[in-house]
Formats: sequence, C-alpha cells, structure tokens
Amino acid sequence: MFGFFKKFRKKSPWILHYNTGSCNGCDIEIMACLGPKYDLERFGIINKGNPKQADILLVTGPVTKRARARLLRLYMQMPEPKVVVAVGACACTGGVFRHMYNVENGIDRFIPVDVYIPGCAARPENIIEGIKKAIEIWERKQKEKVEVPKVLKEIPDVETLDRREIISKLEEKYSERLVIEEDEK
Amino acid sequence: MKGILFTFALLSPIIGGLIYGLERKFKARMQNRQGPPILQPFYDFFKLTDKRALQVHSFHSLMGIAFFVAAWFAVFALLIGPNILIAIFLHVLALLFFTAGGFSVKSPYSVMGALRELAHILAAEPILVFAAIALYLSTGSWNIEGILTSNTVPILQMPLLFCALVLTVPILLKRSPFDISEAHQEIIGGAEIEYSGLFYEAVYTAKWLEYIFIGVIVFLFGGSNYLLGALLVAATFLFVWLLDNATTRLTIHYMMKFAWGILLPLAAFNIFWVAIWR
Ligand code: SF4
Repeated sequence: MFGFFKKFRKKSPWILHYNTGSCNGCDIEIMACLGPKYDLERFGIINKGNPKQADILLVTGPVTKRARARLLRLYMQMPEPKVVVAVGACACTGGVFRHMYNVENGIDRFIPVDVYIPGCAARPENIIEGIKKAIEIWERKQKEKVEVPKVLKEIPDVETLDRREIISKLEEKYSERLVIEEDEK
Repeated sequence: MKGILFTFALLSPIIGGLIYGLERKFKARMQNRQGPPILQPFYDFFKLTDKRALQVHSFHSLMGIAFFVAAWFAVFALLIGPNILIAIFLHVLALLFFTAGGFSVKSPYSVMGALRELAHILAAEPILVFAAIALYLSTGSWNIEGILTSNTVPILQMPLLFCALVLTVPILLKRSPFDISEAHQEIIGGAEIEYSGLFYEAVYTAKWLEYIFIGVIVFLFGGSNYLLGALLVAATFLFVWLLDNATTRLTIHYMMKFAWGILLPLAAFNIFWVAIWR
C-alpha cells in the first residue's frame, strides 16, 4: 500500500527556503530557479514557505547566532520524511564568513545535511542538480524514523528519543520555546 | 438528468483537481513557463498521504476534515438538492468550519487568516445569494433541474449581475487581487498554515471543490443552452486566471468597499430592474 504512495514523492517535492543570514546571493539564485528561465515548477516543485507542509529544506547562509534556534525550530516543525539541502559555500562551511565572531560555520553543526551545493553563489544548474539528488535521497527515507539534530549528539541513547523529547531537549539547550502546542499522530 | 448530476457531484473532487491542474498549467504558460503536468494536484495528493501528520490538537484537525465534508455536501446540495439557496448556505457553513479551525490554534498567521476568511465570506456570499435570486426571477425555479430545463437564458436578463458574479469569483477562490486570506508569503496560507499530512490533504481537496461550486453557478446562467453555459464557465475561469497573473494583492478594506460598494449595488440594480419590468 505505502509503496504505491512512495512513487509520487519524486513528482511533488515542496520546498521551504530559509535564509540564516546569507548575503542574499544564493537566495536570488534560488528565486531564479523558480522563475521562468529554469522553471522548477515543471517538476512539481513549489516554494511552499510553510514548514508543516514542506519536504525539502533549502538553507542558505552561515547560520548567525540569532538564526540557529530558528533553524532548529523550522527543522523540527517539518514532518518526516524530509531532506535538508545546504545551498552555497556559506551554508556548507561558512564560506567567506568562516570564523567570524557572530557565525557558526555552516549548518551541518546543527542539523543533518543530505546534499551540499557548492559555489558562491551556487549556480541555478547546481541547485537543480542538488535538488534532484535530494529527491533521490528523500525517496529512500522512512516516515517513521525521526532524525536527530546534530547538536544533541552528545546525549546518550539519543536515537531512541521520540519527537516530543527531542524538542524538549532542544528547548532546554537553547532556553527558548521551539514548537508551540503540538500532539503527535 | 438526476443520474448525471449525481455522478457529477460524486466525481466533483476529481474534476475540481483537474481544473486546478489546468489552472496551474495555464498560469505557467501565461508567464512563459512550461508549468507542471495537469495531473500535478493528484501527485501532491498522493504524496501528502505518505507524510507524517503533526496534529496541533484534535479539534483543529477535525475542522479541516469537516471543511472538506461540508464543501462536498454543499456541492451535492447544489446539484441534486431541492433549492440552490440551501447549497449556498451550506457553502458558508463549510467556510465557517475552516475559520473555526483557524481560530482554534495559537499561531498568529492562522488567526489572522481566519479573520480575513470571515471578510471573504462577508464580501462574496451576498452576491451568490443575489445570483440565486436572479436565477429564480428569470427561470421561475429554485431547483437546478428546473433552471436547466427552463427555456429562458438568465444571462440575457441579468448581464450586470453576471459581471458582478464573475468579479466575485477571485474573492471566492482566493485569487489575486483578492487573495487576502491566503496571501502566500505574507501570512503563508492563512488558516491552512497549521495543517499537515492527511489533514492538509482534506483542506487542499476542499479547495478544489470550490471550483465546482462556483463553476456550476456560472453554468446555470446559460439556462437550458448548455453550450452557452460551458462557454461562460470557460471564459470566467480564463478571465480569473489572467486577472490572477496580472494583478497584485489589494487590502482588505478595498475588497470590502469593492464588494459592497460596487458589486452588490450592481447586482441589486439588475434584480430590481428585472423584477419591476416584468
Ligand atoms: S555562498 Fe556566497 S553568494 Fe551564497 S550566501 Fe554565501 S556569500 Fe552569499
């Protein structure tokens, strides 16, 4: 039964784009991908802008200290199965902002990243190729398995925690409410 | 006749999905893009089935499903019910379920979207009621079968009211310039923002039913001339899609002024004129 629905994943990936303090170069390129020239919508991709309905998280920027809790919050609000794509040198490693006092050198210190797209700014062709790779990875993911943000890796038995517990651990760590009132189904 | 209408009502989510797919394709072609395949809404539908559903609380999810059920029920009432006014009131009820869901969560976007949704109901539904009255006046029947078999053509008597109805369609379908309650990238879908997985699927499908609902009302203005009715529906949808691509979002105050200051007097004038003239 569920094998049947799985086939439709590659036909309708919805993306969520989050800017963690980038210079806007990569964001412009993502917008170019969605525009008439590269037209990602022909693959069924729309920029949903809503974590609860999105499947692919496109992150640009080096993660400033103010953006990190928001990034974790968006990540935890996305329902499984989901994939994360780091767009641009900044999101991969920190890029030109690396080792500055206010940045965290790339998103993979916080959340598990599936595809890295290099380039400053990443070219639209690269972004399309990266999203294609992301869809391939996404097709293999399970909806039951909750992926744990990397910041919690030092906690013992972290793999056995459920969504709720992960969220409360994150809230403890950053002393901030991440997800407001939510039951799990 | 009854059998055909019943089958149409039963298949209405599928037909509505096809219209939505066509809309996306048409709009993409208008922007010189290739656009998604016409079956894209169904691909989205199947994908959403396989996503984990995160519930905010059970009442909220229930309201999402109630929206779909009530919207489908309204389509049934319109197509096989005794009176099209009842269908319009059921349609309001469906939208009220949706707003109740929007108000029941703490998310500010959801509450704001629900408030704006109420404004949409206030702006659009009076004109739908006037459309029903106009159909009664020119055909002498409140019933869809009576309208479809009468030998008058309502649009010839009600041209102004039909114009008002066509301009109401963007308000009902939440298309630009009146996409105020959905306002993508401003309040990100409004009242639908907190739905996910299966529950979002219900809301997503309920919106396809709106096409059928408004499409049938427009079709009735062709009376017993079905070809004219079909042409009216096609022209209305094409006009709305073009308008969606060509305009930007207006404010809520402008929408209310436009609906109550221009569209409603236009419709009322047409009705009084016909009622007195006869
Ligand atoms: S990778 Fe380059 S273009 Fe992209 S956000 Fe960073 S500095 Fe800007």
